[in-house]
Amino acid sequence: MWFVVTCPLEIIVAEDNIIQRTYLTRLIEKLGYTPIPAADGKEALEVLQTSRAQIIISDYQMPHINGIELTRKVRELDLGHYVHIILITGSETDDIRAEALEAGADDFLSKGRDPVALRARIRAATRLINHATELAEQHRILKEANDRINEDLKAAANAQRQLLPDIHKDILGVQIASAFVPSAVVSGDMFGCFELNETKLGFYAVDVSGHGIHASLLSVAIGHLITPEYFSNTVIKGNGPADPAALVEDLNNRFSVSENDDYFTMFCGVLDCETGELDFCQAAYPSPFYVAPDGHSAPVGDGGFPVGMFLGVEYENNQMTFEKGGSLLIYSDAAPEAENAEAVSYGTERLQRLVEQCKDVPTDDMPDMVANVLKKWRAGQALEDDLTVVALKRT
Amino acid sequence: MIHSKLHDPDIMVVRPGVDRLTAVNAKAFKEEVAALIDAGASRLVIDFKDTGFLDSSGLGALTGVLKKIGHRGDLVVCGLNPDVSQLFRICRMDRVFSVYADEADAIQALKEKS
Repeated sequence: MWFVVTCPLEIIVAEDNIIQRTYLTRLIEKLGYTPIPAADGKEALEVLQTSRAQIIISDYQMPHINGIELTRKVRELDLGHYVHIILITGSETDDIRAEALEAGADDFLSKGRDPVALRARIRAATRLINHATELAEQHRILKEANDRINEDLKAAANAQRQLLPDIHKDILGVQIASAFVPSAVVSGDMFGCFELNETKLGFYAVDVSGHGIHASLLSVAIGHLITPEYFSNTVIKGNGPADPAALVEDLNNRFSVSENDDYFTMFCGVLDCETGELDFCQAAYPSPFYVAPDGHSAPVGDGGFPVGMFLGVEYENNQMTFEKGGSLLIYSDAAPEAENAEAVSYGTERLQRLVEQCKDVPTDDMPDMVANVLKKWRAGQALEDDLTVVALKRT
Repeated sequence: MIHSKLHDPDIMVVRPGVDRLTAVNAKAFKEEVAALIDAGASRLVIDFKDTGFLDSSGLGALTGVLKKIGHRGDLVVCGLNPDVSQLFRICRMDRVFSVYADEADAIQALKEKS
């Protein structure tokens, strides 16, 4: 690609000698450029800032500001483009040229009338200017594309956040609160909770393997799929115990067909808010912590296959009693895996102790408290994986 | 990234060559092991002796390799530290992979199987 500069390039001719200035001006005109004459360095600086000139041909010896001082002053300016400076030197020694190069001069011409040399210098400068223009154009195109992608990502992140319930509410006497910290703009985490009937509360948390756009697309698909209707239709079977494993199994059947290595982990539970009976199915999601009213804590569940990895694997239902005054803290694996500056991960033991300390914290503040402790642990570094923390408290 | 070593007669021992198998390097790991399988390796030991951590992407890559081998061969793992063992238990991967203490045990088991 070659961007042709359509209008002739402007060249400032800084020369105090009127005869020499006129000679150079005419020569430059003949070469097809637009000369801008300046009688000294000061004038050259002025026209540089009012014109679009990217080349200065300047005499070294001028009153007030000489060629080297002019060069230094040009380099101090912030013009948004480079100015190519060619100094005309006389019989001066190499020292002058060395000083001029140090000041930022690009090229030299010897005093005297040598149109061939002048043309060669100007052509060299033009090539560099065209190259810079081309680079600037490419940069502009890339920046535009990048801005567009970032805007799209922000829109996607917004769409995803709207799908995540801003849970700070009370369902059937259970206080629920959540915190969500995506590692990238978009996240592979998803969670939800619904009132299934007059007594039962359903909830789930999903963590898609990997993170970023790819994981996010899958998590959004899962979020759309798990509607309250879908949840209760698959999980509630008449008056018998709830069957969260049926929901996980259904998802596994739907998502195991893909050829790639995508899968997700999940924790899915149904709480009878009258009896406190919790039926849950754990599919490789980290074991949540249950904190009993007496402050004693224990991990819930002993594991299960991930979802979408192997077709036909079995998922188990498990039961526990969720006492009045007890809390359940669900967290994605970003919490125990968060590493501090010394590459020490936060770990499940530390997390369990932290959860115990949360006992008397209002449910609404629990998830943010955990997220903030992890943020401190990371010492300001962003998390490597998406973090979800959901707290449930039976009142 | 991976280090592989052939043992008699056809058992390949692979070490991921990273301390952490994560989203950062899981794809390269899978591609490199897949290339070994394409080149004819069908009995593999993945040795996690020097790999102390797998994240979800790392686990995805490992199961991807297992699916690629399928019924055409064997893939076993060894050298899991307590953290990785715990991950395998929580994800039930201990029911999917044959897990051995170390390379020698894994090779021995594969030899007896043939």
